[in-house]
Amino acid sequence: MPTKLNFSVGAVFTVLLVLSIDVKAVVSIGKDIELEGFLKVQNILRTPKFKEAEAIMQRNTLQLESKYYFLKEGQMFGKFDSGPIEEATLTLVGRGVYDSIYEIRNSLDGKFSNDNGKQGLYEANLREGYLDLVLPPFSLRIGRQQVVWGETDGFRALDVINPLDLSWHWSREYWEDIRIPLWMVRGIYDIGKFSVFEESFFEAVWIPADFRPNKIAINPSRPWAFTGTGLAKTPNSIFIDGNLRDLELDVRDLSPRKRLRNGQGGARFKAIWGDIDFSLNYFYGFSADTGVRVRDDLSSTLGNTHTSVRELVNPRSHVVGLTANYSEERYTQSVLRMETTFSTGIPVKISPDAPSRIDPDRDQFDTARRTVLMLAVDRPTWIRWLNPTRTFYLSSQVFWRHYIDYSRFYRGISSVEHAVVNGEPVGGKFFSENNDQIDKDEFVITFSASTSYGPAGLIKPNFVFAIDPRSTGAYNKFGLDYFWSDHVLLKFEQSFYWRAAGHDPGPWALGDIWGHTTRNSRHETALSVVFQF
Amino acid sequence: MEKSSHRASAGTGLKVFFTIVCFSLSIKGFSADGQSYKEFIEWIEKKPPEIEVSNQGTLLTIDDKDDILNALIPSPAWEYYIFADMEMTVVPKGYYPSPPSWGRGSQEGILDENGVLVGFTGGGFPFPKVVENDPLAGQKVVWNMLWRPGQHDFDMPMTTWLRSENGKLDRKMEFTGVSSTYARGEKCLVEGYEEVKSKRIMEFRSPRDMAGAKDMSISYVDHYRENSGWVYMPSQRKPRRTLASERTSELMGMDLIREDMNGFSGKIYENDWDYLGKRKVLATMNVKDNPEAGGPHLWVPHKTRWEVRDAHVVLINPKDSDHPYMARIVLIDSETYWTLWMFGFDRKDEMLLRMNQHYLKYSESYALETPQQAPFVEQDYSKNVGSFVFLHLGESDINAKKPHGTVTHCYTRKREFSSARARQFYSLRNMVSGRR
Repeated sequence: MPTKLNFSVGAVFTVLLVLSIDVKAVVSIGKDIELEGFLKVQNILRTPKFKEAEAIMQRNTLQLESKYYFLKEGQMFGKFDSGPIEEATLTLVGRGVYDSIYEIRNSLDGKFSNDNGKQGLYEANLREGYLDLVLPPFSLRIGRQQVVWGETDGFRALDVINPLDLSWHWSREYWEDIRIPLWMVRGIYDIGKFSVFEESFFEAVWIPADFRPNKIAINPSRPWAFTGTGLAKTPNSIFIDGNLRDLELDVRDLSPRKRLRNGQGGARFKAIWGDIDFSLNYFYGFSADTGVRVRDDLSSTLGNTHTSVRELVNPRSHVVGLTANYSEERYTQSVLRMETTFSTGIPVKISPDAPSRIDPDRDQFDTARRTVLMLAVDRPTWIRWLNPTRTFYLSSQVFWRHYIDYSRFYRGISSVEHAVVNGEPVGGKFFSENNDQIDKDEFVITFSASTSYGPAGLIKPNFVFAIDPRSTGAYNKFGLDYFWSDHVLLKFEQSFYWRAAGHDPGPWALGDIWGHTTRNSRHETALSVVFQF
Repeated sequence: MEKSSHRASAGTGLKVFFTIVCFSLSIKGFSADGQSYKEFIEWIEKKPPEIEVSNQGTLLTIDDKDDILNALIPSPAWEYYIFADMEMTVVPKGYYPSPPSWGRGSQEGILDENGVLVGFTGGGFPFPKVVENDPLAGQKVVWNMLWRPGQHDFDMPMTTWLRSENGKLDRKMEFTGVSSTYARGEKCLVEGYEEVKSKRIMEFRSPRDMAGAKDMSISYVDHYRENSGWVYMPSQRKPRRTLASERTSELMGMDLIREDMNGFSGKIYENDWDYLGKRKVLATMNVKDNPEAGGPHLWVPHKTRWEVRDAHVVLINPKDSDHPYMARIVLIDSETYWTLWMFGFDRKDEMLLRMNQHYLKYSESYALETPQQAPFVEQDYSKNVGSFVFLHLGESDINAKKPHGTVTHCYTRKREFSSARARQFYSLRNMVSGRR
């Protein structure tokens, strides 16, 4: 195995070295085809409680992006009149991933297994592939794509059209790289100026039959598995009437299948009204967060084994939203942003001991309605003693989520613990419990700063801070990008998770859930080399 | 092409002595290389010699430093533009008429108490005649520059090289700007958009970390109104509103601030103004092609065509004490109102902080000589002929304090949008998606 590893690492660096000698920024094939992309070698070292260190990722990503301009200025292939179609392009984005850490860890301590269908080891797919057609005043994008609405950074309110792949590095990557593109049609009708509105357009999105939920790893052998607040173990036991039983899960995936009746769609109107850029949005889809219905009525106990039936469901959801931004040039010299939504069909867990009026189906599951309000400010700011020639881009936002149908029996993040019988832990037995009562109102405040230094601004530090004021859980990231050349980018990132007080994990998967005092500390240092072309 | 005939200047010896004294004493505001504000003011006040220029062009080299180059190249630029193997071909001053319709139906401009042009909607120079003793001459020259013909209405693929000393290439960027004039005097390009002066969309092509990033900017006839702007970043896949009133931070790692574009792109009312008269100066006025980069650091045009032009010299003093410049001096061609040179002096020591110099080509010259194509797209330059405007072929931007230089080549094709196409292209709709 080490030979294989050495070969892969060596090959990557050889390719980097060879390619960095003389490569064009964008490779043109003829007049109409362009090819670009990147090769990224990403190494992450986890430092639990800063007492030890373990390599958790050695992810090599090759992404190829091509664009074919087959129709320009009303001429198809440079020969035929294309009628009302003024421009058309075909875009293909393919990505291949190989994470060698599974080979390394397998060979060293077996802690990170690749026996889970080699998930996380290889990935190769067409990430995006779409046709752009411009038929003024219409424009259409048809194919597998990402569509982003809203004004919020790093949290989701209106940005719900594409699910996220949180399985390999949670949400700590550019969302462009972790959004799961869907097959859909996006059409925009440009209206322009009318009545009191300027720059207005109407946009519609239709996803005929391509629902996918957010992707989360739950296998503890995955480095970024979401294992709750307790032990990084899979529950294999359950207490039934005070007796410890072996647990077998019969998980039934009831998420929407690829059928037209499971289509999703939405529309928005965006315009400027008196210097305020705003949009009205509506999306009818499915919750990308998967809910779990516990079907005790179908569960059974045979001998010492309890088979529990769990149904995975993604409820239908309506999302109505309003966004606005305003560039205040005179007094604050800031861009002010706002986003607010009302959503239905939010899956929530209910405590097993909830009364029947709260959980009449006794399935520990409900759907809730929720509102979000996000307020943000962006400001290019001079901090001359830190950087005399370039401003810092400062951005801060407050994100407030409110459950309309709140119940004190709603539960948040579960935890896995050692099974204890008569005060003694039972070896190899773990059970899941959920004592995390969620709050009716949830808050998170974020702040980020970035600037650039050096000739041509090749050194780019950045800082991210997010805190949940209720749980006092927080996340910090210090990053530094250095462009060694136009083709080679070196990236360093240090992430910390911490809390000021208490043990509340909070709802945002930040703070002490992966912090210093829990058993699942995930402070980490990332070093990446990107070759781009 | 003829080699220049040297005619010794009477003050050469004195100048050398003065320079040595300044260097030795290290007096604040003076330097050995003419980069202090005071030295530049002295240079402006000196009357340069008349030089003989042949019709075929007169070649200037380092040998012409004392007699001609020092007198006709602004003193802060000597260090970069006068070098050992330099070659400048100086041709007779050309005649470059404006478009035949220019000024027809355009009204004379009126300045308010802040020197701000009000009620003017383009189609001609707001101040066709600028009188030197006019106390508002500085503002009027700059207003003419801001409303000159050819300011917009083009497709402009660009390549930019950002270099440290000794020509070390730090970054190369490729991008394309497309812009249109909306305010055209009696009529507006798009009916109903009379408040808009111009719109511009710029999109990056490379390097890959910037590829697909694009911004749209709308400038307004009302100078008091800040531009509206949005930027689309592929990593975010959505447009983001931008702030226009911060104009003094360096842009994209380049050696210029937003206010330096075109020599001056700030707000008239944020500055004090002085008109310093006219001055003859060498300018890359109608170059044959995008000039090759020369000089010890590859920051300046080399082996290209120059003219001796009469330039308005305008002194601009920012009112804001936090502004990086204590003074900005802009040299603007007195006939065409294109910016030839700009120098910004550091508030801390009154020495040169940043400068830029522009390479221009007259549209009718495209009939005789075609400049190179952009490395990444081929355009039909024949449409440029008949426009009777200057096209921007690039510029040198230098930060003297780092020191660092940015050289940009523009491959400009005139483009007139139809009203319908402009309405579609310059729209927020175009900013919700991008190259990826």
